[in-house]
Amino acid sequence: MKKLNFIFAALMGLGLNYSQAQTPKGNVLIKNATVLTVTKGNLENADVLVQDGIIKQVGQNLKTPSGTETIDATGKFLMPGIIDAHSHVALDVVNEASAPIVAEVRMKDVVNPSEIGLYRALAGGVTISHAMHGSANVIGGQNATLKHRWGSVDPADIIMQDAPRTIKFALGENPTRVHGRGAGIQPRTRMGVEAILRNGFNEALQYKKGWETYTTAKGQKGNTVTPPVYNERLQTLVDILDGKIIVHCHSYRADEIYMLINVAKDFGITKLVFQHTNEGFKVAPEIAEYTMGASVFADWWAYKMEVYYSTAFNAAILQKNGVLTSINSDSAELIRHLYHEAAKTQRYGGLTDDEALSMITINPAKQLGISEKVGSIEVGKQADLVIFEGHPLSSYAVPQMTFVDGVKYFDIKSDSDDQRLQVSATEMVEPIFLYGEEDHQCLQDVDAYFEAFQGAFLEEKH
Amino acid sequence: MKKQFLKAGMVGLLMTGFLSQTAWSQSDPTGKRRVTDTYAITNATIFAAPGQQGTKGTVLYREGVILGVGANLQLPKEAQVILGDSLFIYPGFIDGAGLTGITKPKDPEKPKDFVSSNPSDEIAGITPWRTISDQFSITGNQVDDWRKAGFTISHVLPDGGMIPGKASVIVLGHAGKVNVLLENTAMAANFKGSRGMYPATIVGVMAKFRDIYQNTTLALDHSKLYASTAGVKRPEMTPTQTGMAAVVQKQMPVIFTAATDLEVRRAIALQKELGFKLILSGLEEYENVIDLIKSSGVPVLIKLQIPDDKAVKAQKSDSVTTATKAQYDRVKEAYDKALKQATLLEKASIPFGFSTMDTKPGDAMKAVQTMVKNGLSEKAALAALTTNPAQILGISKMAGTIEKGKMANFVISTDSIFKESAQIKHVVADGYMFDYEIKKKSTKDNGKSEDGSVKVEGVWEYTSETPAGSSGGEITISKEGSDYSGTISYDDPSGGGKISAPIKNVSVSGKTLSFEFEVNAGGDNLTVTIAAEISGADMEGTMVVAQYGSFPIKGKLTTPSLTL
Repeated sequence: MKKLNFIFAALMGLGLNYSQAQTPKGNVLIKNATVLTVTKGNLENADVLVQDGIIKQVGQNLKTPSGTETIDATGKFLMPGIIDAHSHVALDVVNEASAPIVAEVRMKDVVNPSEIGLYRALAGGVTISHAMHGSANVIGGQNATLKHRWGSVDPADIIMQDAPRTIKFALGENPTRVHGRGAGIQPRTRMGVEAILRNGFNEALQYKKGWETYTTAKGQKGNTVTPPVYNERLQTLVDILDGKIIVHCHSYRADEIYMLINVAKDFGITKLVFQHTNEGFKVAPEIAEYTMGASVFADWWAYKMEVYYSTAFNAAILQKNGVLTSINSDSAELIRHLYHEAAKTQRYGGLTDDEALSMITINPAKQLGISEKVGSIEVGKQADLVIFEGHPLSSYAVPQMTFVDGVKYFDIKSDSDDQRLQVSATEMVEPIFLYGEEDHQCLQDVDAYFEAFQGAFLEEKH
Repeated sequence: MKKQFLKAGMVGLLMTGFLSQTAWSQSDPTGKRRVTDTYAITNATIFAAPGQQGTKGTVLYREGVILGVGANLQLPKEAQVILGDSLFIYPGFIDGAGLTGITKPKDPEKPKDFVSSNPSDEIAGITPWRTISDQFSITGNQVDDWRKAGFTISHVLPDGGMIPGKASVIVLGHAGKVNVLLENTAMAANFKGSRGMYPATIVGVMAKFRDIYQNTTLALDHSKLYASTAGVKRPEMTPTQTGMAAVVQKQMPVIFTAATDLEVRRAIALQKELGFKLILSGLEEYENVIDLIKSSGVPVLIKLQIPDDKAVKAQKSDSVTTATKAQYDRVKEAYDKALKQATLLEKASIPFGFSTMDTKPGDAMKAVQTMVKNGLSEKAALAALTTNPAQILGISKMAGTIEKGKMANFVISTDSIFKESAQIKHVVADGYMFDYEIKKKSTKDNGKSEDGSVKVEGVWEYTSETPAGSSGGEITISKEGSDYSGTISYDDPSGGGKISAPIKNVSVSGKTLSFEFEVNAGGDNLTVTIAAEISGADMEGTMVVAQYGSFPIKGKLTTPSLTL
């Protein structure tokens, strides 16, 4: 029985058993700021007290507990740390592109806490990023939610250990190109993508049954039932069916979005977020009714066929239709100014400040299943905070300080030219791989490498 | 009858020789048979174990086993005596993990219906059933080179993909012998993905490793059930599961190649999650994980290599901006720190060994010497080459030190092995002696004579700058025996052409040529001393005129002496 528990512990995909070292927790009192709580309105000349990494008090004229550092934020804006629901920063590998379903792979295995992109994200006020597997597979790997505790070289320190499991799905051109055109297997078309999903989940149901049968029979006298083959790929699909994992699905076209909604309905999957979702505006009511919403670009399209029918009003239309909507970066560059991206919803759709800010704070927090802990300035939440010079939705906004758990990891005043944590002893300039043209024909064997390079070194990998 | 008797005697004699190896002396068509297998290396400086002082004494060994070490050994008559008077003897080095003598097996051909998303284990580089017996040859790739570098035992890993197969401990001894000391000592593994198929990347490799491990566990459970209960479906252990069984049963460690700190963390995480025994190998960047290595208790074999200094050497000293200078400094700092990593392991009391995988035999000692220069104690360095790997591989009883009863594996050098000038003259492995040519120092370097000094003979044209203006002439130098003589011509101080004077007190030391000559100026004899550095056919130096000061002088060798 013990062994079984052990196996099940592994099946649960608990990620690496990194020793759960205590991550740093700060104490700080930020005074006289314009506090943009996002969920509870704005407070002028207000203070926020952080103790042991948690927001303890929000209000005016708070007393400074002895020994607590005080930061005067007069004339500045304080907002919750920005959350990016779609990023590939700090991952050594992005795509295990080699099979249509790779649900067994865990991005937590390949988190690299020294990647400079984390610091740059902090400089843009981003405190949490959703480090996702790539979009080469219909069902990709399990993602990692990262807290940007810059400075630690231990991946365990930047993995948000109390965040729920999430997984990457991908529809449309990417998986059909890599597997259909590239490897000559299913899926070659969008119909194939759906078939992969349905077959995968049906197999998972059988797998689950097989294990249940074995577990029941195992303890009985004279049992002749033998253990089924262990398959973490199918076990992960079982966990999705059991509601233990939130699906984040790369998608563009309305038809494929609606397809996945139907598949999810048929299999009873309710934890579903769409990523990119460029044609989401066409099926906004359906997305609103059935899913945990959409995480979209502010105004990015036309980089391939399936992304032509797009509009910068997408986020606003989704929002107005009751879709939980967030704006993400999917890019090591855009992640540095997601507040600009959020502001675009005001130009294209006239959203309110709170609505716009929600798209990079509480909404992505909900989509990642961490909104009880982060995403707004509320007493009891983790103190992930950013101080801005200028309103964050202004074109002139500049982040000044960024805190995670009340610990300051970015301060524009002590921002030096070279913030690298680790420097190569043998390379003057670390290698940069430029991406040539996107041509996967005849490149079956290098596909995986292309995808990996694309993920690791290039910004556009949506 | 008599003849037959004689024949039998011959056979008997040969047999005896074959079995005891003490009496090789009869007909040997190859001419390679040893006269004796008993040797005594006398009056050498013996470093018997790491941390021990060198003591003068004799090492006596027979049939590859050390019979005695000490000052007053009784030498048997059959012992071949090797005069070790000027030599230093160390225990033979042990390579904790290497590809010595390995030929990588050919990749299997992909079937016509190959599916890259689900390849066979063999094609995907998962071959735990393989052993090195098909891949290793004692006459193979680099065995000679590594032995020449002092390595007498190597933990040889098979070459291949993510799980290439089982390693063995091999003594790098005589080609005609069976040289396997321990078979199937560890399962080699690394984070290498398979090109263009599953698993293609580290993240896939880790998932696949878990999969293999768990299914091997289950397959063993199945087999157990089958053995104890009737009516159970027959087990079907795959070759992969059969190969991995000893790992899952914790009888065989996994030797994971992990170059960086993150790879070290990944290997240890897998080990903690699954529970196998682990050895880490090929570490290059590990400063960040020294505490983790310490707390996990996992044995480590660091890569026997120092980082290349190209980036540091390429740094320019002038005309760089402050920003570039700052970047230079960080790379330099990183480089200096990288050299000190082994020292940090020693400080943390982690007994590490070396892995020779992907390193050059010719640079091995230089790497060790660089580590020592950067703070590693000689004791720890020698331990990393001998006793630590012996401990990790479980061969401490037979190897690692020079002690009675252990294997006759020695490194015999011309000096302390930690000196750059030291050269390895002999290596004894399994009692067989391998001799190496000792290079004479600074032999035929360009422009240098046998004693290491530059060649100066010939005719030089020189110019010198004095307050009176530029002047010049010729210096002619010839050499007889070890003595130099010659003449110098110069502008006549009283005007009108050149005059010549003999040069005296000529000396050549290293690159420096110096001599004196006398100038008669207005009735006074002035002594002029010239001291110049010779670089090929150029000289540059100073001319000192007594009481007047010193002036620069430059010269060129226009006619080198033909009597070299």
